[in-house]
This record gives sequence, C-alpha cells and structure tokens, in this order.
Amino acid sequence: MYDDREELSLDELLPPAQVTRAMILLTNLCGAEIVLLRHPEAQATPVEFSLEPVAWLKSDLPIPQRRAAAALLELLLFHAAKYRLAANLHLTATEANYQELQQQHAALQASEARYRLLSESLQERVDSQVRTIRESQQKLYESARLRAVGQLAAGMAHEINTPIGFISSNLRTAQEYLGEITESAEAESNLGELIEDFHSLLEESLDGANRISGLIRDIRLFANIDQTDHRHFDLNALIETTLRLLQPDLATPDTVTLRLDRLPRIPGYPAKIGQAIHNALTNALRSLGDEGKVVVTTRPVDDMIELTVQDNGHGMSQEVRERAFEPFYTTREVGMGSGLGLPVILDVVTAHHGRLNLTSEVGQGTCLTLWLPIAGQAS
Amino acid sequence: MPNKIVLKIVYYGPAMSGKTTNLLQLHALLDPQRMGELMVMETRDDRTLFFDMLPIGFQQEQTLDIRLKLYTVPGQVEHDSTRKAVLSRADGVIFVADSQLNQQENNAVSFENLADNLHKVGLDIERIPLVVQFNKRDLSRIVEEKTLRERWSSSAWWPLVLSSALKGHGVIETFERLLERLYPAVNEAHGLSRHYGIDRSVFLERLTRCREDHHVR
Repeated sequence: MYDDREELSLDELLPPAQVTRAMILLTNLCGAEIVLLRHPEAQATPVEFSLEPVAWLKSDLPIPQRRAAAALLELLLFHAAKYRLAANLHLTATEANYQELQQQHAALQASEARYRLLSESLQERVDSQVRTIRESQQKLYESARLRAVGQLAAGMAHEINTPIGFISSNLRTAQEYLGEITESAEAESNLGELIEDFHSLLEESLDGANRISGLIRDIRLFANIDQTDHRHFDLNALIETTLRLLQPDLATPDTVTLRLDRLPRIPGYPAKIGQAIHNALTNALRSLGDEGKVVVTTRPVDDMIELTVQDNGHGMSQEVRERAFEPFYTTREVGMGSGLGLPVILDVVTAHHGRLNLTSEVGQGTCLTLWLPIAGQAS
Repeated sequence: MPNKIVLKIVYYGPAMSGKTTNLLQLHALLDPQRMGELMVMETRDDRTLFFDMLPIGFQQEQTLDIRLKLYTVPGQVEHDSTRKAVLSRADGVIFVADSQLNQQENNAVSFENLADNLHKVGLDIERIPLVVQFNKRDLSRIVEEKTLRERWSSSAWWPLVLSSALKGHGVIETFERLLERLYPAVNEAHGLSRHYGIDRSVFLERLTRCREDHHVR
C-alpha cells in the first residue's frame, strides 16, 4: 500500500545503476570528481526531493558548481518522482478497484444463491397451491354436478307426476265404462273377446302408470325435494328406496339381498345418507362378476346402528385399499368413475358422527360397514 | 533530528473549477521558510490526470519540522478511484466550487462525492477541517452572493470564501481559513503550543507568509 506521508528514498526514486550513470556524467561535465554520499557530512551539498535531503554531493569543486550539480540531480529526481508517484497512486487505485469488484462479486453471488433458493421453494409452494386449487375445483364441480342431477330429477318428477295422475284417473274411469259396456253387450260373443282384451290392456296400463308413480315417489324422496333439513328418518326405508332406483343396474332381481332388523328412527340428513347408500351399493354392484351377490344388513348395536354392504366381487388389492378414500383416486377407466364414491361416504358418516370400516380381499369381495349414532347430533 | 509533522491538504471539487490554479497561485504568492517544486501531472489539454502536489513547511530551530503537502484531485467523474486514493488520510479539505450558474449541479454532485469518498476512506465530512471556496467570481453569469448565503449560511462551512484564482484573489484567504480550522486538531495531536510554543497566529503567519512583490489578498 502506497503511503504518501513517507518520503521516497533515493533508491526508490532512481535505480542505483541510473544514479551511478548520472554521477559519472556529472563528474565528466564538471571536470572534477563528485562523490555521492548517503549520509550528511561537513562541506557536502544536500540534494533534496520534496523538502527532504535524500543524498549529499562531496567534491573539491567551487560551491556554485557543486550547487549546480546538486540542482541538476534534483531536477532528474523530480521528474523520476513524477512517474513513481503516479505509478504508486495508479497501483493503489487499481487495487482498491479490484477489491471493490471482488466484494461486489461476492455480494452478487450471495444474493444470487439467496434468490435461487427462494425460487426453488417458491416453485414448491406454487405446485402445492396448484394441487390444492385443482382438488377443490374438482370437488366443486362434482358437487355442482350432483346438485344439478338432483334438480333435474326433481323437475322431471314434478312434470311427470301431473299427467300420470290424470292418466291413471282416466284409465280407471275407462275401466268402469268398459264394465258397463260389457253388461249391455253380453250377447255378442265376438265382442266379448275384444272387450276382454281391452280389459287387460287397461289393467296393464294402470299397472304401468302406478309403477311410474312409485318411481316418482322414490326419486322425490331420494332427491329430497320435500325435506332437505335435518330430521329423524327411517334408515331401512331409505335403503329400500335407494335399491329401487338401482333396479335397472341389477343382473337379476335377487342380486341384492336385504336383511334389515327393526330399527329406531335416527336423526340426520336423509338426502346425504341416501347418497352414501347409493354410492356404497353402486360400488358393490360394479365389482360383481357373473353370479355376484350383494348382501345389505342393518341392526342396532349398542347406541349405534350398524349398516353393512357386503359383496363377493373382485375386491381390492392392499394398494388400492390404502388409497380408496383419497378424493379422485379411481381404478375405473377415465369417465367411468369420479373417484368420489368412498370419500363422499366418509364425509357423510363423519358429518353424522359415525364410523366406517372397509375390508377387502382380491377375488373374495369387499365389506363396507357404517355405524351411525341412534341419538347423534349431526353437524 | 527534529520531530517531523506531515499534514495533507486536498483541493477537491468538480472538473475545471480551478483547483490546480489555486495551487499555481499559492506557489507564486507564498514565501514560507521552505517550499518545494510544484509537481503538476496533467494531460495535454490541462486536465489533471493523477494529482498536483506542492510541499511547503517550516522548521522550528532543531525541534520541529512541519510539512504541508497540498494536493489536487482530478475533477472529472471517471477518475473517482484516483480521487479516493488521494483523499486517503487527508488532514484537511478545500472544496473549490465553480460559481458559474450552469455549474451548480456539478458542484452538488462533486460535494456529494466528497462526502461519500471521505466516508469510504474512514473520514467524516462533518468533522474534517473543510473550507468551501466559490471560485471564478470575476465571470459574469455567476450565482449571486445572496443565493449563496441562503444556501450555505446554516451549514457548518459558513462563511464561504469568494475567489478568483486566476487573478490571485481569495486564494491565500482560503488557505488561511483552512489552516485556522486545521490548527486545533494538529495542536491537540502534537501539542504545538505546549511543546513548541507555536500558537495559532504563529502557525498561520509562518505558513501564509507572502512574497513582498506579490502581496495580493
């Protein structure tokens, strides 16, 4: 480091070889020997640089000549010093610049590392947020879809109900008329057969109309058009209704066997419980192969009602069982299963302060057991 | 050997404000006991490249040897690292501002730069002896004295020195003002009056003594 308080020495100003050369030249110029001393001596003339004597000249020359020789040497040193001082300053400034650059570089590297870390954790957080948003979007979509289906069913039930009412009524009246016509036309045997046939036609139509009316009753109950609130309800009736809705999915009428004990009415949301039973039955029915059977049982156990849905279908592997309650996890083909069947059952049971158990073996079948409190309080 | 005290005084300020001219005038006007050659390092167009340096001083019998090294810095913005190196370990600063109206922005930038660089070399602009000189008062389109008073009278550097370095006006006065502000610190550090009997007036007189034939103040 360059320190401008320390005066430059003779050697720093001018290399020794140059000093020797200058002394030879001075000696030749003056025609008498001139000796350069590095320490003061009596009768010697000082050579100064920047107010500081840096050398002394000793000679037999007259004083003016000796002074002139010293002044010439001083001039030489002055110009050498200009370069030396500028070079020193330049070096100092360059070193300082370099150090500053290095510090800036280190600071930049540190900040870059900090930002890289931040960006990595940001990516992670963004990914997890995206996952959460996607999941809740899917849930919203599913529940909106279910609601729409329910509304559609309710609307349809209403639209069909009125015409079915007067169709049934008209058919009955027609049947009465036909009775009267039969009495007055007994003589005509040919006509008798025709009227007989007409009778059975009306019988069949009435039966069909009655079946449609029953179906509408079930849809209304399932879609819960009349009552959406929390109330006491008959679980067995709900199971029967739900099963009737699934009738078209059954391979044979006796695919599903109901073994229902007498039960007290339990508090809850029948529409939600209905949805859970619907999901459980659907799952069971879809797992069945040829000659598959499903058994549904209910019975009171202590202060709970136990509901089991047991099938002898294809069952689940351990891996599938572990993920069965994960929303949107499905083993069915795309579009065939929402992956929400079991999660919805779990949600409903939890909302009713109940419990749930799932056992399954590949090739053996699956048993889903729900326990619902008899005197529970639903949230 | 006498005790040696070396003091460093730096002329700072924007480019072309007259720092080197101040030094040239001091060299021409002053007649202290000792004065070395004025070293000027400039480019061909008279811009200072590294620095200018003038050593002056006096000796008190065989007890004390006081040296003042007067430096200028290059004013151009791009020579900042050189300015910082020259400013390092300064004992006092003379800020030479340009009075011309169109140079006020440059003055402000340079003064900020001075504060900044002092801080970087471990000095404090609030504490270092500092005199502000407004130069080029002989020109016509210059900042009025009234305006300067408004801007500077509440600062620690008031009063300013108005100068025309080219004509030799105000140069010695600026230097003298700096020595006045410098003396207490030097006296405290080296006991000038206690050990050597050099009080402020002696200090000033011996360093600002002028040639008989050039007495311009």
